[in-house]
Amino acid sequence: MKTEIRASRAAMESLSQQLESFSEVLAASRTPHVRSWSPTTVRRALQWARYMRHVYRRFGRHAGIRLALERRLRDQWRREDGAAPATYSGLTSFRALGRCDLLLAQRLLGNRALGGAAFRCLLGQLCPGPGAQDAEDETLQDRLALLARRRAAVHLLRASGLGESPAAHEDPLTQTQAELLLQRLREVGQAAAEGPRRLLCGLWERLPQNSFPRVIAAALLLPSAPPGPPQKELELDSPKTPGEGRHELVQWLLGKSDTMTAFCHSLPAGLLASVVGRHPELFPAYLALLTDWGRQLNYDLQKGIWVGAEAGDGPWEELLSRFQSLCQAPLPLKDEVLRALETCKAQDGGFEAPGLSIWTDLLLALGSGV
Amino acid sequence: MAQDSVGLSSGYQFWMRKLSVWGQASTLETQQDICHHLPQFQEFLRQIYETLKEMDSRTIIERFPTIGQLLAKTCWNPFILAYDESQKILTWCLGCLITKEPQSSGESKLNSWTRGLLSHILAAFRFDIKEVDLFTQSLGYAPADYYPGLLKNMVLSLVSELRESHLNGFNTQRRMAPERVRSLSRVCIPLITLPDFGPLVEALLTYHGHEPQETLWPEFFDAVNEAFLLKKILLPKSAVVCLWLRHLPSLEKATLHLFEKLIFSERTSLTRTEFLMRQSLLPEAACHPAIFRIVDEMFRYALLETDGAPEVLAALQVFTCCFVEALGKEDNQLKFALRTYFPYAPPSLVMALVQHPEDIPQGLRHQPLRRISEMLREAAEDQAPGSSGGPFESWFLFARFGGWADMAAEQSLMSAAEPPEALLWLLAFSYSPRDGSQPRAQTMVGGGTQCGWHPGWAFPELEGSYQRGPRNGFGFH
Repeated sequence: MKTEIRASRAAMESLSQQLESFSEVLAASRTPHVRSWSPTTVRRALQWARYMRHVYRRFGRHAGIRLALERRLRDQWRREDGAAPATYSGLTSFRALGRCDLLLAQRLLGNRALGGAAFRCLLGQLCPGPGAQDAEDETLQDRLALLARRRAAVHLLRASGLGESPAAHEDPLTQTQAELLLQRLREVGQAAAEGPRRLLCGLWERLPQNSFPRVIAAALLLPSAPPGPPQKELELDSPKTPGEGRHELVQWLLGKSDTMTAFCHSLPAGLLASVVGRHPELFPAYLALLTDWGRQLNYDLQKGIWVGAEAGDGPWEELLSRFQSLCQAPLPLKDEVLRALETCKAQDGGFEAPGLSIWTDLLLALGSGV
Repeated sequence: MAQDSVGLSSGYQFWMRKLSVWGQASTLETQQDICHHLPQFQEFLRQIYETLKEMDSRTIIERFPTIGQLLAKTCWNPFILAYDESQKILTWCLGCLITKEPQSSGESKLNSWTRGLLSHILAAFRFDIKEVDLFTQSLGYAPADYYPGLLKNMVLSLVSELRESHLNGFNTQRRMAPERVRSLSRVCIPLITLPDFGPLVEALLTYHGHEPQETLWPEFFDAVNEAFLLKKILLPKSAVVCLWLRHLPSLEKATLHLFEKLIFSERTSLTRTEFLMRQSLLPEAACHPAIFRIVDEMFRYALLETDGAPEVLAALQVFTCCFVEALGKEDNQLKFALRTYFPYAPPSLVMALVQHPEDIPQGLRHQPLRRISEMLREAAEDQAPGSSGGPFESWFLFARFGGWADMAAEQSLMSAAEPPEALLWLLAFSYSPRDGSQPRAQTMVGGGTQCGWHPGWAFPELEGSYQRGPRNGFGFH
């Protein structure tokens, strides 16, 4: 029994080391370092990748081994001095093993530094021609072709205006980005507690301000349980416990007031109301934002409407529509909104006539509509 | 070999012109034309590859100076890249262009350029969506990580859009514009065999718009039918029935395809015939009267054209047998009356024929046979103008149900005494329905003593052990 345990531990250690070394090779394949790679190096690297994929298929359902390897990869990731996933080039998860030959192949194909002879060898391995078969697995050639086909498919659909939706949480592109975000948040969270926050801050700085909030909103609105039967290829396209990723997201939003402000400003009223309805923790912050906003509006006697002091402040209609959407949200929210408005109205002096207190006017407008 | 290269040259010119016209497939006409030519173009690519792989890079450039242009234009055509194996064959062709040892700057440039194209197809696809690329790169993901999920989400979104439009048809806001559905069916044509598109193909086939005319692109039906017949996709029976009901040429092609497999290939056994018949889904689909009529018509035509060939007759009988079985399994609510399928025959006759002969116990077989014979005779001799009886229709009706002819023969052989007249009439009729009553009487007399009749005549597997009956033609032309 003891020798068996020792033997299996040794085997495990050897496998883990191989994983780490391969991860380094994968990282190197993106760099100019490949200039020094000979055709033999390329061939060996691909063989190694094939072996790693075999490991993935062999042990994918074996929870213990999977976890141990996963932990080892995370340690390696952590050691890279808390690098963001964007800059980390090695393997980031066990799941990545399933595609590592594809990843390696694509990196080498796109790397201009790879020498002519090495490139030809690569091509020979990737596109051997007709008749290349593998008994137990799809060939790399077929999988590359499948990916190319899928990319062409997506392009064809989008070029004809299909597979899109104006509603962020229904748009497939936004949904996919949201799923990826949650997946990464979960992985990063397991590697380091600070991970998710750092990742989100980094993304907020890098990404365009009009699209990232939509992705966040979509992520917050994704259904809890992945629909349908379990995926066949050990892949989990949507995280098993999406709740985890979402929790980090909410905490991060609440942690930075300027992010929250920008988030609320860039999204339409209805979408925000759905988000807040689903995650009530966000409600107080949102409400506070709206009340601040309201306080900044002044009544213009000539025009007969509420306007902002600066150009940047949202107009009356915008504010009203946001309160209206909130009132259309599930019941507890609506009651709290009305209560808050009543409180503000009372604080202002409790006027009933329009034009004196914005809260009165809001309540009047809501009362007639709701 | 010279012949091949001449053929290839002219084909080359043809496709070069086509590709130039197609560009990046942005207009409706070009898309239509491309979809029409996808299989042939793939075949051409295969031929080119077979030629290129024998040559080295320099010879290729000498022989086909514009090959680079041809391949580049192909790389920029998303319809071609999306279709079947075209993208794979394209990479093989490009691989042939790479020079081992570039001796001039021209050759180096060609190498570099070819590498760029290969990278475009297999690695950094230049049609990728920039915004998504940036996002996923920031997360540290590669296209291989997100494309399967993205395509799945897009397909799901389209499927639910179609379903909603279908269900909420009266609410015009939720309705999908016909042009949009049409456009979708067009874009799907190269992608029918991509597994991710299965649900979408099904949804399109079962989608009924709110326009009186067909919304879907006809080539879409053709392509689905082709893929289904070649077993490149699996479709549920309901989707196939929708396909055949909406697009008559598909049904005809499916029937002809079956004929080819059963009739014009080498001898197949009875079990294999049954297997192929069931697999084709035609008997089950024929529970829908419109489909039955078409298939029936095609069998009728085939019989006439081939002069009543036994193979055709055998196929018809297997079809009818499987059809009756399928009818029995059909949901009671959707059952049509038998006369819907056999409008020209007396209902009582049809009812009698549809019974399974084997179900009748041994001693009691004479009675039903006699009844059938009488009814059939009456129908066959009904020569009144405008009647839908007559010898051929009656014969055709009877011929479908092979089991009865077999049983008549069996019974007449088994009885020690002279078999009853009704039985003999039946046998004579099934052989030569056109004979007037005089020659038929003679045949009947002869048939009683003639031993050249074997129960298994309908099935070619037993051909060796029987003599064919008089094949004096049916004389209906």
